[in-house]
Amino acid sequence: MTNYTRRQMLIRMSAAGAGAMTLPAILAACGGDDSESGSSGNTTDFTMQAAWINDAEFMGYFIAMDKGYYTEQGLKLNYLPGGPDVIPESSLLGGKAPLALTTPDSTINAIVNDGAPFVIIGAQYQKNPIGVVSLKKNPINSPQDLVGKTLAVPPANTLSVEAMLKLSGVNKDDVNIVPYAYDPTPLVQGEIDASIDFTTNVPYTIEEAGEAATSFLLYDYGFTIYNDTVVVTKDALKNNRAEIVKWLRASRQGWEENFKDPAKYPAEFEETYFKGTGRTIANEVFFNKAQQSLMEASSGFFSMTEEGIEANLAALAEIGIKGSRDMFDTTLLEEV
Amino acid sequence: MTLARVARGALVVAIIVAVWEALGQWELVAGGALPPPSDIVRQFWGDRSDYPPHLSVTLKSAGLGFVFGNIVAIVVGVISARWRTAESLFRGVGVSLFAMPLIAIVPVLLLAFSGTVPRIVLAAMAVYYPTYVATIVGMRSVDPRLVDVVRVAGGEEYAVTRWLRVRSAIPHIVNAFKISAPAALLGTLLVEFGGGSRWGLGTYLLGSLGQANPARLWGIGLMATIVAALAYAIFAVIAQRLTRTSLSATVDTAIARSESGSWPRRIGMVFLSAGFVLGLWALTLKLLGMSPIVAKSPLAVVNYLTSDPRAAATRDRLFDAYRETLPLALLGLACGLLAALLLAVILQLKPTLGRSVLPFALISQTMPLPALTPLIVLIFGRDVLATVVVCVSVTFFPSFVTISQALASVSPAAVDVVRVSGGGRISALRYVGLPSSVPALATAARLAAPRALLGVMIAEYLATGNGLGNLLNESRGRLDYGMIWTVATTSVLVAVLITQLIGVLERLARR
Repeated sequence: MTNYTRRQMLIRMSAAGAGAMTLPAILAACGGDDSESGSSGNTTDFTMQAAWINDAEFMGYFIAMDKGYYTEQGLKLNYLPGGPDVIPESSLLGGKAPLALTTPDSTINAIVNDGAPFVIIGAQYQKNPIGVVSLKKNPINSPQDLVGKTLAVPPANTLSVEAMLKLSGVNKDDVNIVPYAYDPTPLVQGEIDASIDFTTNVPYTIEEAGEAATSFLLYDYGFTIYNDTVVVTKDALKNNRAEIVKWLRASRQGWEENFKDPAKYPAEFEETYFKGTGRTIANEVFFNKAQQSLMEASSGFFSMTEEGIEANLAALAEIGIKGSRDMFDTTLLEEV
Repeated sequence: MTLARVARGALVVAIIVAVWEALGQWELVAGGALPPPSDIVRQFWGDRSDYPPHLSVTLKSAGLGFVFGNIVAIVVGVISARWRTAESLFRGVGVSLFAMPLIAIVPVLLLAFSGTVPRIVLAAMAVYYPTYVATIVGMRSVDPRLVDVVRVAGGEEYAVTRWLRVRSAIPHIVNAFKISAPAALLGTLLVEFGGGSRWGLGTYLLGSLGQANPARLWGIGLMATIVAALAYAIFAVIAQRLTRTSLSATVDTAIARSESGSWPRRIGMVFLSAGFVLGLWALTLKLLGMSPIVAKSPLAVVNYLTSDPRAAATRDRLFDAYRETLPLALLGLACGLLAALLLAVILQLKPTLGRSVLPFALISQTMPLPALTPLIVLIFGRDVLATVVVCVSVTFFPSFVTISQALASVSPAAVDVVRVSGGGRISALRYVGLPSSVPALATAARLAAPRALLGVMIAEYLATGNGLGNLLNESRGRLDYGMIWTVATTSVLVAVLITQLIGVLERLARR
């Protein structure tokens, strides 16, 4: 027994020595791991930070990767999925990615308050898909209906909800706002009256659970902002402009291909991009069909018209975020 | 364990599962939000091909974090046990890591590191403190008579360390692994749940949340529970063997405190220790080269609270949040300790019943809370009750381990005295077990205090939308990095203060 413990300790001690040597080294190596651009052959590495885990919201990029549209442009795309704790703007500031999909309210807020060096160069959603979702048997059809009701709001959308209520003349204190933990069960069970979510997505789950859903967009009640705005850093705009234009071109091609038949690609990606996500292909098809009208624009995907930009700025000004036209740059889309 | 006892244990488990099945089948709990075990199994079977890739990534991250965190903890622990000054210096780091509200630093970790590194780092941070404390306590709790034997034989401190301290520390460390292995798993799951990658049980959970499919969520949670229980069981068996064969069987549950030195010296060491933490913090940011907009240095946090044009409003928001959160944290702490004591007593009086209930208690530890949120809000609402329930679930387990260890390791002679005088198990517990576990209760309170604060924050964040948890939530939505760092920093400070306060009360009570 004595031998056993002594040998054990010896192994531990030597392992400990090795650990002390390697841990800082590993941390340092990871900290300096900025793989935003570099060349391999005739393709350039390019990283994008998405806004959420893999679902139909990002179909266009998956198609463009799968069909080689990025490669045709000479880009090797490194796609980073998002999630509740991944703040896409942080990836830009941390140098993890030169391009991210964001919500315009948080992006412009960061530019105004912290002087963050961001430029908005395109908008995936012409109309923000965020809306108030409720059950048909207890419908919330307008912001006014929310008075005296319980509304679940995800942390990222606090600002948007405050804006919608203000624009509709509803006092925030008259609505019981609780956190939303991404699970529609409390809504289906009637514990809450409504939740803020993508109207393109969660109604599917609610109907699967045997309830009819109804929803309205915040956009239709005056909060006229884009969503999944394509944001780059000023540095990237200066140094990687060509790659960013190529990314826009390939991504637009991906979205065009996707909407030729919105039911086609989700199933094709069952074993790749959608494997093990915990979501169903039928849900992705529902999502993909529902988002088409929110994305299409007369001058092509990602377009930002002058009226659109003005509407964004006006909506944000209502909640005290004073953005300006120079935070948007439409010249890259013109090059596409 | 006799066959009859095994059979009795199995019977208790079977009854619990049967009741659960009935509650689920007839949708008696929260309108069907609690799925029956049969549904969970059916769903699990349907999802069986999804699990291996997720599980392997989670296990690898948690395992690496466990190994790295423990190596650092043992090295620092050995150094701290040898030199009091080193201990004072490192104590701040340990306490800060322990008191850190993990949910506040996940976004920061995800930002600073790529791939699976954030998970490994958080898992390592989660295991550090229990192992560090166990190493120090183990190295110090050597029978002084044995030290004399080595000294008389001409041994210096090195020989004492080599022949006595190391051997005494090992069972303590392995005992700490029982707590830290599940903690590593939970830390990993927490980061995975934050997103940013394709694989991991936490990622799977996140994707499944929106599906309103409680059976899937429970399947993922039970998978995590099984892994945690296995890790716990393995180290429990090893710890039991080691304790049986080790020379020193006395268990000193008190966290090592440097009681030596004059008051000025001790206060000086506190400042030095805190300065060490702040220095480490500033240095890490510098080494990582993070943007000052995102990564706030200690000085930036101070500025944010004092000289920033919005500082006054910021302070008001912060104080308001604490006014809501703190009383609940104290309430939750008391309830968590009570629950731990109760379960420990049950385990002592009715070992079979206790052992059968234990797996279900473990579920509450390893079921990721976001998966349980619908159940919690549907049963307990979104008020004080829900907060206390979450808080108890977060605090009670480490307290339970500490208290039941103390109850189990009372002097057999003292128990015999009670037995001889005609007392039964209950008398033994009353006159020997409970009195001798008072120090353990104080230790448990100190271990649980930071978790109580974390528990309330989680409840606020997931269910009630009040206080500090909500402030953190909102700040992330607004990209208010200054507030994120401020909440993280001040919550560590508050947790440390509560811990110290309990320590002072404990010392007063002992006098």
